[in-house]
Amino acid sequence: MHPVLTIAKFELLRSAGQMRRDLVPVAAGLFVLLLLVTGFAAQSGMHLSDGLYTIGVDDPALASVLAKDPRFVVYRADGPLLERERGTLDLVVIGGQARAASTPRGQAAEKALRQVYDAYVASVYSSEPDLFAAYPLWIDTEEVRSEVDFSATASGQQVGLRPGTAPPTPEGTVEPLAEPPPGIGVTADELRRELVRDAASDDRLSRYTDVLRNGGGGEFRTPAQLSPPLPFDSIVLIFVFVFPLYFTSQFFMMAVMNERIDRRGEALLASPVHPALVLLGKGLPYLAGMLLVSTVLLLVLGAPLVILAVLLPVILFFLAAALLIGMTARSFKELSFVSIFFSTVATSYLFFPSVFANVHVIALVSPMTLVVYALQGTPITLSDYLYSTVLFYLVAGVLFYAGVRNFTEERLFSQSRPLTRIREFIGSALSDRHPYVSLFLLSALLIPFVFMAQMMALTLFFNLPMPWSILLLLVSAAFVEELAKSLGLYALFARSGRFRSWRVLVPAGGAVALGFLAGEKVLLFATLAQITESIFGAVLFTSLQALWMPFLLHLGGVLIVGACVLAGGRRGYAPGLVVATIVHVLYNLAVLRGAIG
Amino acid sequence: MNRRHVALIAKKELRGLSQERTILLAILLQVFIAVFSSFLMVGLASLYDPSAISRTVTVEYAIGYAGNESPLLDRLEAAQGLAVYRMNLSVAVQALRERRLSAVIHVPDTSPGGTEPVKLTLYTLQNDITASVLNVRLKGVFEAYEAELRELRADRLENRPLPLRVPAPRGGEFFEFVYGLLVPLLVLMPAIIASALIIDLVTEEYQQRTLETLLATPVTFTEALWGKIAACLLLVPLQAGAWLVLLALNGIRVAAPVGIVLHATAASAVLVLLGALVSLHYRERTSAQFVFSTGLVVVMLLALAVPANPLNLIARLSVGSAGPDHWVVLLLVTGATVLLAWLTTRYARSVARAFLEG
Repeated sequence: MHPVLTIAKFELLRSAGQMRRDLVPVAAGLFVLLLLVTGFAAQSGMHLSDGLYTIGVDDPALASVLAKDPRFVVYRADGPLLERERGTLDLVVIGGQARAASTPRGQAAEKALRQVYDAYVASVYSSEPDLFAAYPLWIDTEEVRSEVDFSATASGQQVGLRPGTAPPTPEGTVEPLAEPPPGIGVTADELRRELVRDAASDDRLSRYTDVLRNGGGGEFRTPAQLSPPLPFDSIVLIFVFVFPLYFTSQFFMMAVMNERIDRRGEALLASPVHPALVLLGKGLPYLAGMLLVSTVLLLVLGAPLVILAVLLPVILFFLAAALLIGMTARSFKELSFVSIFFSTVATSYLFFPSVFANVHVIALVSPMTLVVYALQGTPITLSDYLYSTVLFYLVAGVLFYAGVRNFTEERLFSQSRPLTRIREFIGSALSDRHPYVSLFLLSALLIPFVFMAQMMALTLFFNLPMPWSILLLLVSAAFVEELAKSLGLYALFARSGRFRSWRVLVPAGGAVALGFLAGEKVLLFATLAQITESIFGAVLFTSLQALWMPFLLHLGGVLIVGACVLAGGRRGYAPGLVVATIVHVLYNLAVLRGAIG
Repeated sequence: MNRRHVALIAKKELRGLSQERTILLAILLQVFIAVFSSFLMVGLASLYDPSAISRTVTVEYAIGYAGNESPLLDRLEAAQGLAVYRMNLSVAVQALRERRLSAVIHVPDTSPGGTEPVKLTLYTLQNDITASVLNVRLKGVFEAYEAELRELRADRLENRPLPLRVPAPRGGEFFEFVYGLLVPLLVLMPAIIASALIIDLVTEEYQQRTLETLLATPVTFTEALWGKIAACLLLVPLQAGAWLVLLALNGIRVAAPVGIVLHATAASAVLVLLGALVSLHYRERTSAQFVFSTGLVVVMLLALAVPANPLNLIARLSVGSAGPDHWVVLLLVTGATVLLAWLTTRYARSVARAFLEG
């Protein structure tokens, strides 16, 4: 048997042997319990926002309509009495006129009332025998593909010209377009079913804001259904996919950690097999398990299996991160906190952009957007796939490489402080004989992380009003780059006194700057064309236009930090970073002004 | 049980946490989520919310109108922020492709009072923010036109809904999202962290084989366990309080912070004790975490399915609409805590006996 498979088998047997005998029956029992509770919860509904608002109504029929919504505590009383008690209620309805208290809660109650009333009106009208008297207006939405590069508007610019008095005349040839037929070609009954279905899917979760509203199902919509198409159901499914993956990666994290307890890993370290194969073998059962869980989920949900290809880089990323977390955590507590932190950050990175799946290209930063597309039936192109997954593949690869390089006795059983450990982990990628070559490679390898962090900043900041989003993005992008560049140099200085000299600084800085530039160029060329064309891209990647200018910038940044460390020791590092970031921001601002003005 | 011993162990665990600086990570996490959720809201507001958009965007959108004359044309021309041009359909769609228009509306030759529905065709740009912003603006115009058409066909309707006039929206879009969902979930997070922590603290003693050393001191097993539980529970009000302060800094003020912290602590106590029981039984982190997390989902779903559950009460306390009945629920949860505490102590004693006997 191949050594990888042997180790995988060993891993499986051992983790099964560690379990208490009652684990499987208890897990099965809990699963049954989970099904029962889910059924109960579906029956009784989620009582999270019950009784938030108080409302007084004078009409008993209307009161019974409103009482169906548990958010309202409804009081029925006569008009004069309600008028007197208005101050104590969020909302009063007298003679068919609603009046809300002018508090935030009153305003929210009014909004909730509008939702409830709209739903009630829709339920009355959708049961009318003559549907087209109740719903006389239907809208058919046709999407037209823009001929102009769409990343321009997607980055926040407005469409074309300021409207004039005369209708605009197109420049291109006008292809004759057939008038759409007046009829809708669908029976009233089909539309009615669609309306009822849409009303039912407008469930308790989606009512929190209009934001989380489903765009309506069918091809034809009533005006009320004409809201932005937010793929809400699909977004919920993201959690269905990501949560089990995160959960299974926890087991791998624990398995790695277990090797370090009581020096149990000695046996694996002593084996003649290369560490990379050992770690592959240890990870294999978990990788297989995660793929299996995903496949089962996809089959149960009836979703296209293409999604598996999208989930694969995410799985690899989770596993690689789990490997490193398991290798660095000093105690169970630390493992828990670090993994909770990691999962929160990773989940936001995956989840947040996909909210904008139908609205903005930024969504493609996250592979989960592709999952949403696949569920919606939107075709996924190869460039989409590369664009949103390549960072995950690369980061997973680099993390795994770091794990392999550090799979040694010295690293595994050390108990030094987390920051020292990170430094050691980076340091072991540097070679004593060829420090400059390894600095070059390290800087190039750090590029995927830099891009990921910058993408994270982009998803965070692109929502803010315009000057702020650009400014914050500028500062954070510069800081991330300076941090990444200085890491290798700092690790080299900390490694031995031999390197801590002014003579080393300039060639080392040159190697870092070159590696950084090369990595940036290669990765950008391969993938990020869409983002780089937008104004946000200009902010993130200004240093890429010419070659020698950014090289000098990168070199300058590294030299500043390096000089500060040489002059002030460890205390000089943070101030050095700040100064380098300021210089970087100023440079970017200068380039941007030149580019814009 | 010796109270000084319990306090000693609690202090030791808390010191361990602060020495490892993992607690810093937890605080960082809180700030990250707080920042993130406020960004999320700003983003969603500007993208999807009609009133937020009409406040910030003052651009006029150029729209092509093709097909038949209709009262809709007058309504569109009267609407704010829209510049409407009567055009030939093919020309208009080509202009849309070249981004000289933001949308094209085609109106067919259907009689407004007839039996057939009026079917509009709305051409928008694929994958474009403008389309969503515009949809929101057009929606109001279309709804008004729908009401007009409905009145023309009113004699064919059998039932009319009860009349109700609600004033136009003036804000409050995110109130329910923030107070009805975000606040309860955020305040619950410390409870989940605390119960994960107790599992770590207990299983670590077993797996790192430090239990013998601990029991060689005058501290008994039960006292050590309660010390750990106390350390975890102490963190809950601190973290929940920190959330409320962070939210307040974000401009989200809650009405009854004390009540919220009390409910959060009581609910956490239930979860922490469950975690302690599970980890005493399994003594191994992977199994204990697995069983506990699955159990946690069951408990949470069950709680949410019951009216007046602690999470709902936290939401109501945060908006200031909780009645005095929330004290009753707090008392019930505390009762459950006492019961679980008794169970935990008994179980710990029997575990310790078995351990000493070998």
